[in-house]
Amino acid sequence: MYRYDEFDAAFVKERTAQFSDQVARRLTGELNEDQFRPLRLMNGLYLQLHAYMLRIAVPYGTMNSKQMHMLAHIARTYDRGYGHFTTRQNIQFNWPKLRDIPKILEDLASVEMHAIQTSGNCIRNITTDQFAGATADEIIDPRPVAEILRQWSSLHPEFSYLPRKFKIAMTGSPTDRAAIRFHDIGLQATTSALGEIGWQVWVGGGLGRTPMIGKMISGFVPHEHLLAYLESILRVYNRYGRRDNKYKARIKILVHEEGIDSIRQQVDEEFAQVKGGVLHLPQDELDRIGKYFVEPAYELVNETRVDVAREKILNPLYGRWLEHNLHGHRQPGYVSVTISLKPIGGAPGDATDAQIDVVADLAERYSHDELRVTHEQNLVLPHVKITDLPAVYARLVEHGLAEGNAGQITDMICCPGLDFCALANARSIPLAQEISRKFGSPERQAEIGDLKIKISGCINACGHHHVAHIGILGVEKKGTELYQITVGGDATEQAAIGDILGHGFIAEDVPAAIERLVDAYIARRQSPSEPFIDAFRRIGKEPFKEALYGNA
Amino acid sequence: MATLDLAVAGLRPHKRDALRELGIMSLNGMFDEMDGVAVLRQATEHLLPGDLAIVSSFGADSSVLLHMVAQVDKSLPVYFLETGKHFPETLDYVETLKRQLGLTNVVALHPDAKDIARFDPTGDLWETDPDSCCHIRKTEPLDEAVKGFGGWVTGRKRYQTAERGVLPHFELTSDDRIKVNPLAYFSDADIVSYKLKYGLPEHPLYAKGYKSIGCAPCTSIVAEGEDPRAGRWRGLNKKECGIHFDFNGAIAKPMANQELNLFKDGAFVADPFHSWAEGDDAGSVSYTHIPLAVFVENRDAVLANPHPVGLLVSPADDVMAVKGDLDRFSSIAINFPAYTDGRGYSSARLLVERLGYKGEVRAVGDVLHDQIQLMRRCGITAFVVKHEPTKKALIDGKLATVDIFYQPVGLTEIPVGTRPFLRRAVENA
Repeated sequence: MYRYDEFDAAFVKERTAQFSDQVARRLTGELNEDQFRPLRLMNGLYLQLHAYMLRIAVPYGTMNSKQMHMLAHIARTYDRGYGHFTTRQNIQFNWPKLRDIPKILEDLASVEMHAIQTSGNCIRNITTDQFAGATADEIIDPRPVAEILRQWSSLHPEFSYLPRKFKIAMTGSPTDRAAIRFHDIGLQATTSALGEIGWQVWVGGGLGRTPMIGKMISGFVPHEHLLAYLESILRVYNRYGRRDNKYKARIKILVHEEGIDSIRQQVDEEFAQVKGGVLHLPQDELDRIGKYFVEPAYELVNETRVDVAREKILNPLYGRWLEHNLHGHRQPGYVSVTISLKPIGGAPGDATDAQIDVVADLAERYSHDELRVTHEQNLVLPHVKITDLPAVYARLVEHGLAEGNAGQITDMICCPGLDFCALANARSIPLAQEISRKFGSPERQAEIGDLKIKISGCINACGHHHVAHIGILGVEKKGTELYQITVGGDATEQAAIGDILGHGFIAEDVPAAIERLVDAYIARRQSPSEPFIDAFRRIGKEPFKEALYGNA
Repeated sequence: MATLDLAVAGLRPHKRDALRELGIMSLNGMFDEMDGVAVLRQATEHLLPGDLAIVSSFGADSSVLLHMVAQVDKSLPVYFLETGKHFPETLDYVETLKRQLGLTNVVALHPDAKDIARFDPTGDLWETDPDSCCHIRKTEPLDEAVKGFGGWVTGRKRYQTAERGVLPHFELTSDDRIKVNPLAYFSDADIVSYKLKYGLPEHPLYAKGYKSIGCAPCTSIVAEGEDPRAGRWRGLNKKECGIHFDFNGAIAKPMANQELNLFKDGAFVADPFHSWAEGDDAGSVSYTHIPLAVFVENRDAVLANPHPVGLLVSPADDVMAVKGDLDRFSSIAINFPAYTDGRGYSSARLLVERLGYKGEVRAVGDVLHDQIQLMRRCGITAFVVKHEPTKKALIDGKLATVDIFYQPVGLTEIPVGTRPFLRRAVENA
């Protein structure tokens, strides 16, 4: 993975000093809160319901064990012994004190980490496939380009005060695990007719109160022109994106209102001017950055298969974990392991300091010192030898991290909700915990199969409910927390936004309503191998509406 | 009909004598272009005997004119504006030339003590309002002195600045006085060779790079190849002190103790520009940033406006719309009505990087500490700052900045290290 050189280290050091100076000026009153807010946000510092929240960047979701240990240290020393992994592949701490922030940033800098641009109306952390560089189904490893984009977007002077936040996601695999069509810019690796590898560029996707599926703005941009092309999009957005209404300020609205053809033309005109200039990415630079991401020294292993059926008989829980939490690796004898942060009845995405330390240890010992954060709020050990799986599993079991539910109904994305967030209308974590308990039994989950539930505590949709197979949105109506249910969303390359089926439910009634949807699916599926989303596409929403509201 | 007479007098305070005007004009061309002594002799002996004043700055080139005066009449009155702001070297030089050329009638003109007390009690008017400073130290005393003369002699030369390109030997001013310019056709080289030929002493500062010398605070060194007068009122769009214009020319009223808000070249300096106001006329404003939309609507009038003007770019303005006319503006102001509105950064980059605008680009509006470096990187070179803590940080040189950059932006950043791609640093780092 990428390692800082002197330049990177000096940059983070200067940025930390700059932010400390800004905090000091806020404390003396030289900056008022209005003047300070965007500055602290640009360094990941939010003021939440009860306390400050610090969001730490995990560039494209990749960390080493030393960095992970530091997160455990921060959780232990400055917070309440846990951290929360986010859908942006970052981690946030909900209880730091303002006076500790400079110290935390110094600690982070010592392991090449920071909180730069984890909030604010700027280009946010670049996210990507959690299996990047490991998965068998990849056209290219997106991480070198992600690192170059991280550098290009860090404290970009022209794009630090955009109309609104700006998120870029990319995938090197045709199977989209990074939800690229729901980002301001989505990058999909692709091969041109001439066999050259480059990027398909999608623009104007997003969730929030106006969910939009991104539109393809360019079918092919070669590596060398990618920065120039992105700068062109950003410039058009910075100049013409709406600033009159915060809720209409994302690029998705600009694309929607002006039309993709008009935006494409403006971007192309700009690109014609910028192309080939200082942002022309030389191949040797790509190669140089690429060297940081060369494959680790894999061992040649005789055992290249996992006999899940056999293991299921011997140890059903281990067998279930193998069945769901492994992902195919490009290197024979290796797999990528998903560590679920969704224990039955737990708060999705939370991990204690002890758990964070354990995962760091496992990464160091069994995964070439690498780990990943997924946008579905789990962790991944990307390069684990098949022969090491029993040992890894045993450690995970000891620390409550061995839930074999990746991709199952209890592997939910969930925002912090009203328990933490100042924006939320409704609680989401307690509801996730209820649903998790209701469907907690392994047999029930096995019966249901792949089904993604995602919960947002408000219209801002941090819990990605729009793209859930079954989405839950907390709203407030006349002082009551209500939950609307959507069906049929999909975050992958078959991108779809879920439909709202009818009126909302009070919290106590939601788990039962979900169960009715699940039963309706099981009753109508062609076979146990037809997943929920496929069945939904085949039979439409009516049967589900009926399941929820009866035959009205 | 006293009423009518008054009205006529009010409307036409001065009736010009067309024949006299023609007579003066006809003198031009009578003398060899380079024969300054003959021009001077004609003026002192025939045109205005006993009625001519000679004014000298005792600057870098003054020795030539004074040498000619000494050849014509060593007792001719030579006025020297003792503004109180001269370099000590200039005052020494006055004595040197007096002695060496044998001039017997050098008169120092001092500013009115009451004016100084009233308009420049702290002595920094030159900084806050240079026009007014020139007015009380030069125009007023000189006006008073030359009242008794029918004309005066200047050392102006055509080559000195673009504005002086058509200078004749003799001019008639609007109040019917005669200005005599014996050196009108002298070039820089002619001056140098004249000085060499007659062994005239140099101004002590000339060798140090001062090519046109006025008062100490408003004079700076000029670079090789620069307009010799570029060192005068550098950065202020000011070219003349006022005394070479018509005596009756309107000169701004002195305005003391103006607050300094323009940060440029490392210091807060006097700002010659005014804000555009409702009702301003784009065809006649001076030192005003004309809003881009107003310019587009009144393009011809602005292009015909003889005064220095600037352009005001608001966030929604498209700077590409003024692409071909940028040379018209000596300053472009980019407005940041709220510091969170980042459109000005794109406008600045387009102006400087895409359109190659070379003049001053200034940020106005909500200009605060933490955005200044971003603005600089995008090509903004001057800042109109009203936020006191920001001012203080600028004066103290204590901006909290990150001085190494991950992306190439602007024209002045330099590549870092052996891997020039993306990484940049500030030019002087």
